[in-house]
Amino acid sequence: MVFVTGPLYSGKKTFVKEWMHWDEETLSRNAVWDVQELAAGCGDLEQLAQQLSQKQVVIAAEVGGGIVPASAQERAAREAAGRLACLLAKRADAVIRVFCGIPTVLKGEIAL
Amino acid sequence: MMTLVIGGAASGKSEFAEERILQAGSRPRYYIATMQPFDDECRARIRRHREMRAKKQFETVECFVQLEQVDLPQRGAVLLECMSNLAANELYSPQGAGDDAVESIRRGIHRLRGQCEELVVVSNEVFSGGCGYEGDTRRYMRVLAEVNRMLASCADTVYEVVCGVPVCHKGKGRGR
Repeated sequence: MVFVTGPLYSGKKTFVKEWMHWDEETLSRNAVWDVQELAAGCGDLEQLAQQLSQKQVVIAAEVGGGIVPASAQERAAREAAGRLACLLAKRADAVIRVFCGIPTVLKGEIAL
Repeated sequence: MMTLVIGGAASGKSEFAEERILQAGSRPRYYIATMQPFDDECRARIRRHREMRAKKQFETVECFVQLEQVDLPQRGAVLLECMSNLAANELYSPQGAGDDAVESIRRGIHRLRGQCEELVVVSNEVFSGGCGYEGDTRRYMRVLAEVNRMLASCADTVYEVVCGVPVCHKGKGRGR
């Protein structure tokens, strides 16, 4: 599994499609995205990570880089999203971060 | 040696910082804890970090304000976590340095560095969530940003931790 992360609208899906030569339909079949939204309220992040790892590509937006939110619920959601991302990165064969559409390999041996 | 470890919420920065201290090998290991136990959420976070450190044999030294007052009994390795709390305490707690926060922290770091072999400082990336902040929050962001830049300039090595993976911005390992 390849884990792709990066800020909101940084071009993560566009990168994956170009890199893998996938169209929208192939992407839907082989990848899952916005997984940060599944973390909030999930009782077992470890299991969620394992389940998501069945896909060839897992994509998450980075959401932990802002000011700590005033609402406890939002704090918990972003905390869970961060933990999930760490678990996915650990399981992944490769981790790629996309910044302004530019991919950087953080883990694994991949030539882009 | 001084290392700055920076990352967003739940990015895995604490775990990475602790690993750095263990790898450095210096003993004893001190943990300078800056979070005041205001409520249950803080207490839960403190408990989680204490459990992570339990087996790693850290001696905890609490410092909520006035870093320059810290005296360590022996020269060893020091992990200071987290600068985002210390900066907030200096700005807003009655015992804090207030407008002198950045200078106070600068003196504290300088003094701490002289008391240990290995210093690892953890700070928080809180600047990627938009610019729509005003008043006290804006003031806090400006101070923490200045502290982060000061730390990065003093440090031999600077890492950003992204989903548990370290990205080196300064020092050995940069650009790899």
